[in-house]
Amino acid sequence: MPHADVVVIGAGLAGLVAAARIAEAGATVTLVAKGHASTHWGSGGLDVAGPAGVATPAEGVAHLATLDHPYSFLAPDVAPSIAWLLERLEANGLPYAGTLDTPLRRVPTAIGGTRRVAIVPAAQAAALRPWEPDEILVIAGPAGFKDFWPAAIADSLGREAVWMGAGHPGRVTGITVELDGVADRHNLNALHLARRFDDPAQRAADIARFAAAITKAAAGRPGRVGVPAVVGLSQHAEAWAELKARLPLEPFEIPLVPPSIPGIRLWHVLREIIRAAGGRVQIGESVARIHVEDGRVTAVEMEAAARTQLIRTEALVLATGGIAGGGLVATHDGRIVEPLLGLHVDAPEHEEWLVADALDPAGHPIEAAGIPTDGGLRPLAQDGRPAPLANVRVAGALLAGQRSIRERCGDGIAVASGWRAANELATDATRTPIEREPIAVRTDQ
Amino acid sequence: MTIADLVREASEDRHVSASADECLKCNVCNTVCPVMRVTDLFPGPKYSGPQGQRFRLAGLQQIQGPHSVNPKSPDHSVDYCSGCGWCTTVCPAGVKIAEMNNQARGRLREGTIPKLRDWGLGQTDLVGSLGVLFSPFANFAFHNRVIRATFEMVLGVHRNAPFPKFSKRTFQSTWKRRQARRPDGGTLKSRPGPDKAVVYFHGCSVNYYEPQVAEAAIWVLKRNGFETIIPEQVCCGLPLISNGLYDDARERACKNNTILAEYARAGYRIVGTSTSCTHTLKAEYEEMLDMRDDDTKAVSHATWDICEFLLDLHEEGRLDTNFGRLDEDLPYHAPCQLRSHGIGLPALDLFALVPGLRAKDMDHDCCGIAGTYGMKKEKYPIAMKVGEPLFRKVKDSGATMAACDSETCRWQIETATGVRTRHPVEILAQAYRAADKAKGTVAKGSAGAS
Repeated sequence: MPHADVVVIGAGLAGLVAAARIAEAGATVTLVAKGHASTHWGSGGLDVAGPAGVATPAEGVAHLATLDHPYSFLAPDVAPSIAWLLERLEANGLPYAGTLDTPLRRVPTAIGGTRRVAIVPAAQAAALRPWEPDEILVIAGPAGFKDFWPAAIADSLGREAVWMGAGHPGRVTGITVELDGVADRHNLNALHLARRFDDPAQRAADIARFAAAITKAAAGRPGRVGVPAVVGLSQHAEAWAELKARLPLEPFEIPLVPPSIPGIRLWHVLREIIRAAGGRVQIGESVARIHVEDGRVTAVEMEAAARTQLIRTEALVLATGGIAGGGLVATHDGRIVEPLLGLHVDAPEHEEWLVADALDPAGHPIEAAGIPTDGGLRPLAQDGRPAPLANVRVAGALLAGQRSIRERCGDGIAVASGWRAANELATDATRTPIEREPIAVRTDQ
Repeated sequence: MTIADLVREASEDRHVSASADECLKCNVCNTVCPVMRVTDLFPGPKYSGPQGQRFRLAGLQQIQGPHSVNPKSPDHSVDYCSGCGWCTTVCPAGVKIAEMNNQARGRLREGTIPKLRDWGLGQTDLVGSLGVLFSPFANFAFHNRVIRATFEMVLGVHRNAPFPKFSKRTFQSTWKRRQARRPDGGTLKSRPGPDKAVVYFHGCSVNYYEPQVAEAAIWVLKRNGFETIIPEQVCCGLPLISNGLYDDARERACKNNTILAEYARAGYRIVGTSTSCTHTLKAEYEEMLDMRDDDTKAVSHATWDICEFLLDLHEEGRLDTNFGRLDEDLPYHAPCQLRSHGIGLPALDLFALVPGLRAKDMDHDCCGIAGTYGMKKEKYPIAMKVGEPLFRKVKDSGATMAACDSETCRWQIETATGVRTRHPVEILAQAYRAADKAKGTVAKGSAGAS
């Protein structure tokens, strides 16, 4: 049966970062996942920390670190791990903008609301700059695209309350742009449009239409233009440069409902980084069982046609996600369980999962459910002592104590814990193969 | 049909039909669909699969009224699904989308007379037998432009669709003759035990078109200490399943199971060189044809793709790894059916054992052919567009040889690129021969066997 020094389970941001880092450290790594994950659903941006009342992600991390929260032990790794990731993304043609000290600012969403962000793909960055009162914001999208309604978005963004006290454009207007063969389609999603932008001839024609319509709408005023996040998939860099060069206003992408094009770009780049460093990425392989002998994971057994498949391994990163990702499962009798290793889950009693007001600003107790770990990301047993699983590390949304919807910290926890899990397994005194071959940290770091 | 009936049906049919219930409508399947990538004729796996399934299930309930629905499917667009299976692979919720679409295609054709073309493409064994019987004429006809144009008009098989040459005789008959010449007459008495022999499932491609793949497999197996047993067998039935001819497929499946189960129970492993045949034996008899009997289970558990089998030998330390040097760039395409096996990319692991061989995963979703899909007149342009980036990569590699585990993919790649495309086991046989040559002991058929 095949062997990998480390097996990573889960293809979300935490698993991808862990696998990339392990592969770069020179160990063999196989990432397995039952399907695509959060990358395809998210905005493509990196929400590191944005709880109410903080000005920057760094402040947010510092604040959350004072609570019973994964940042209470992960905080020192946030800056180096984010810096490492942004450097890798840029080197692979997907530059991002923003740092941990970039002020959290309100940017428009695809339903005409706003959300606070600081680190975003470069194509979303123009939305971060503070608005001048004389600026116009043009929301421009293709006619017939049901995931992006410029008139409705502009109408909502024209209301001051939506900006929650933040600076906002003096005027917002929405326009639809007729593109050949788009408006009359009964089936049109972000992918169709992104692939149109990948095609040089098609995108030249489409961008010309956008430019003409935006020129007319702006009528000489300074400002910016928000477009749906569909400007190219495999040819994003070229498509974005061309759009930017040819529009009369500076553009920014607004992320959409799934499938998320910015997220898919992120997935492609991270997968490529792992593969280029010799790692394997196997999607569509559900884990059936994890073999444990004498307190160590020895193999991961996967569903396959006719018979399960085993990968022998020296260590495991469990990055299977929270309840939405399937890493935690709510049973019919009201328990929250971790299905693969049966790890102890910190979760409130069934009656206390939810509070009465669905939109209570304090959130619901169930959101914080997860696996408690020590600082080395080793899972803890019910008694608070490390579970007898020396070579397992937990990363990402599976970690207990985060309320990522409210704290806007999911991506930061994923990156920092994926990074730490990788570093832990590379230096863990109980480990074998990686120890024998000291990690060659790349000199370009 | 009552709710209780539906629930019962759902639990019996859990894997496919009822899995629609798990769909979150997240669109991840649409992001990987190779067909949707190139044409609007297919609205995508989500629409045809779990979304269409609601209407199909409603149809089962005989819901009538102002919005009465077609019990078979909302429309015919599901016919444009190529069945590559990528959607099922990436679905984070475990929905069996490709299988659902396949069943929907089958249901669309229920009670209708199949198109002669689809019926013919499904009957790989019949076409193959006739082709071999009249091989000089058939090879002339299948490679004559005028005749192919006529085929296209009359039958709807695209004139440029890849078609291999028929052999002069079937592999089965060649093998039988060879066995009859053996001193023991090839009788079962001389049959070695399951640790010294495997059952070989050759499939139609080897039987009618590519006997060299079988010869390579038998030679490589022998070199590793395994005799080959080749019992009577018929088409695995996959082309019939793909063309919605489930009853015919079930008939083939029963024949194969009856013969193969006996060996499986005796502990023999069933090894195949066609990754789509082996996947059919492993999974599709149960999943697509609803066969859940003991024979089906025994055959499923005993079946191995040849590269999976050889890699397993290697893991046990039993593979002869004395490969000779092959200084070659080797572009490799992992076929869709291999991905459905869930066994990783064993061919690449084996290639890594061959000194000098620079095998490279082309990392492309699908070559387009998808069994018989790309041979059909209306689907040929789609198939070519799906495979185009792969063809470009193979051509750009400058290699003189490529590798792929699945026969129709090999024909598609070779026809589209002009680069000779071979089964991984042929490459391994070549590497063993290179070793023998280097040692100066040019091997005959018995080389290396214990």
